[in-house]
Amino acid sequence: MVAFNQKYQRLFTLVARLVIGGVLLVAGGLKAFVPAEAASAVAAYKILPTQIAHILGYALPWFEIAIGLLLIIGVAVRLSAMASGAIMVVFIAAIISVWARGILIDCGCFGGGGAIDPSKAAEVHRTYAIEIARDLGLALLALYLYFFPYGLFSVEKIAITNEEM
Amino acid sequence: MSKQAKAANGGDHFTRWLVIGMVALVVVTGVVFSITSSSTKAAESFTALEGFTKGEAVTATINPAAGSGLTLNPGAPVTIDLWEDPQCPVCRTFETSLGEYIETMVRSKKATVNYHVLSFLGPESVRAANAMMCAADEGHYLDFHKAIYTVQPELENSGFFSNENLVKIGDYVGLTSKTFTDCVTQGSKLDLVKAHEDSMPTYKVVGTPTVFINGKLWERTSNGFDLNEFRLAVEAG
Repeated sequence: MVAFNQKYQRLFTLVARLVIGGVLLVAGGLKAFVPAEAASAVAAYKILPTQIAHILGYALPWFEIAIGLLLIIGVAVRLSAMASGAIMVVFIAAIISVWARGILIDCGCFGGGGAIDPSKAAEVHRTYAIEIARDLGLALLALYLYFFPYGLFSVEKIAITNEEM
Repeated sequence: MSKQAKAANGGDHFTRWLVIGMVALVVVTGVVFSITSSSTKAAESFTALEGFTKGEAVTATINPAAGSGLTLNPGAPVTIDLWEDPQCPVCRTFETSLGEYIETMVRSKKATVNYHVLSFLGPESVRAANAMMCAADEGHYLDFHKAIYTVQPELENSGFFSNENLVKIGDYVGLTSKTFTDCVTQGSKLDLVKAHEDSMPTYKVVGTPTVFINGKLWERTSNGFDLNEFRLAVEAG
């Protein structure tokens, strides 16, 4: 396992960077130009006071875009991985929170968002589970990048290898 | 620690701050862009009300037997109960698709409509609901209701439904009396707003828009709000 990882680590790191970076870039890009929607999507979670939720809704897409770009081009990978892991954990917590409180919403993960018809409860709960699984997967990939940030096709060239970190 | 490693470490710190700075810059620029484009939209929405003509006055009574709903045109063969929140975007879609039909049914005395103005989406819903009930006192609930959905901002509780703006919406609709403006600014109907909100559990209403036709929940089968489907349901009673 360790030997296998050592052999292909630089490739794995590249794949992890592209997957997380790609998801963040798409998710951020779809929301950044519909700011009002993104802001009400965050407010729909009813966790933060509305005004603060709106500001977060305006900021989050741009943050996702910035982190996504850094991961894809390979600059400050470890730092970006920590940031993306942290936002995944926040997303997971937010979805668990709405689920536990029985609120039915569209997560607004890739644009859209807001309350959903109560008749669709079962469907929404299934979606929550899928979203948690997806974000958990992305968080684990981010964790991998934290330990092995140096891979193929990075803009940032690092003299030292992973073993020495 | 070798010299090289130290240099790498120092370089790492520099990169870190550079990266944090760049990310912060992108985020701040984005937020400024987003807020500006949102507020321009809100200001533009009033233009949609230019040339608004109000219809004939329709008396609204408060019906304690129907959760304190605002009853328009009592005694018609079919009764529609409509539960809405002035800030709810789906209620806006509902209004766009079916509002005109419902208004015609009221004005032609074919249906009794009980309007339940909910306000669970926050303080601006409460203010807007209060103003809608003030308009009901003037006999222009239908007109004001239509105007509210015409200008409804995309964003909930963005500051748009302030008392000042609600009075301005009244201006466009043609509600300029001091009774109306005082009612809006003083929140004279807040008790009634609360009564509507509190009656939700009695009728098992959990979301908006919710429609009852002759006391029976309308369960739509189409994805949007289909006028024909709704008309058939109303005609069937």
